[in-house]
Amino acid sequence: MIWHDYQLGTTISKTTKDTRLWDSEKGIVEIHKDTLAIPIKLDDKENGYIFHGQGKLLLDTIVETEEGAIGDPVEKPLNKPFLMLGDPEETQQHLTEASEEDLTRMGYENKQDLIDAAEDLFHRFFKNGRTHSRHRFSEDRSVIFAFRNQNDKLDILVAKGPKLVYTAKDIVFVSNRNKVVLKRPEEVVCSGNGKSVIINKGRSVIIRK
Amino acid sequence: MSEDLKEEMKRLKEELASMKEELREVAERKRKRAHGIYIDIGNRVRDYVEDVMEGVTEGIHGELEKSIFIGPKGVRIFKDREPPSGEEELKVKFPEVADVMSALGQEHRLRILGELMGGGKYMSDLQEKLSEITTSTLSSHLDVLQKAGLAVQEKVRGRYLITIPGRAAYKMARRVTRFLERGRKE
Repeated sequence: MIWHDYQLGTTISKTTKDTRLWDSEKGIVEIHKDTLAIPIKLDDKENGYIFHGQGKLLLDTIVETEEGAIGDPVEKPLNKPFLMLGDPEETQQHLTEASEEDLTRMGYENKQDLIDAAEDLFHRFFKNGRTHSRHRFSEDRSVIFAFRNQNDKLDILVAKGPKLVYTAKDIVFVSNRNKVVLKRPEEVVCSGNGKSVIINKGRSVIIRK
Repeated sequence: MSEDLKEEMKRLKEELASMKEELREVAERKRKRAHGIYIDIGNRVRDYVEDVMEGVTEGIHGELEKSIFIGPKGVRIFKDREPPSGEEELKVKFPEVADVMSALGQEHRLRILGELMGGGKYMSDLQEKLSEITTSTLSSHLDVLQKAGLAVQEKVRGRYLITIPGRAAYKMARRVTRFLERGRKE
């Protein structure tokens, strides 16, 4: 078993253009130009970033059933620091060194302010202490995002190819091609291969073939 | 003379009263007989209907005890819940239903729902089907349907999908059509 250590870098960069960090049939994570980025290193190699700037998260957390579509899409602005672990190669191409002005524009007095904010999110995600994992996210083309929500907790999005898992305050969405599970406060919906099961708050279960 | 006349008048009045009484009795007997026959038939029909309904109710009740409904298009399971009674059905959520009805009250919006019944559609697909209206009009109709919860748009692919309430609403439109067709034939 090989353990890898994650560490937060100290260099601060910014994006030179609008950049799509992840996209699939179900969702998109994109950041705008001039978004600040601090690298997350894994065994001294960059394996992700903490970003702070403007951007958006789009997720079609909708299940299509024979009874009709269930769920609503997620559309959230990304204007707070968020974390990404995954292949940094594509992102690295669109990064350049950030200036003091770039920091000021995002409301930071100096570099340390941004690093403090990033560290807070970093430790929250890795549950404090030694940050290690058996997993290298860049190796299998998977990506993981952690977004701070309104309750100051983390919404997590994990994706690998067509597979994705999204957990937020009121929703859990798991999708793999046409197989989908959606859990909302009022119902749980499982759908796959043309069959669906809906368990709603009224305790009724509808199974469609 | 006048005494005789008075006597005669008195006798005639008594006869008339007697005849009236007889007529009333005949009418009463006739009414009772008619009512009696009606009640008999009514009771028979009612008993028959009650027997049939009792059988049906027992069948449904048996299914309810198992909490499973098996229909032609799927299975419905109700756990610890009685199916909605007639009284419950009357509890209409007027403001919400009014919003849905309002969204339905436009020919093109009904047609859009009809198109979506066949599966998710892109704006271009819908525009092709409803070529007589402009893109902006189509877009505003889709907004109305979305606000009423009858349709939802994917953010990534952009397709429009019909929701469960949307399907129910369109089925209602079909039912109304059936009633209208029946009315025309009659």
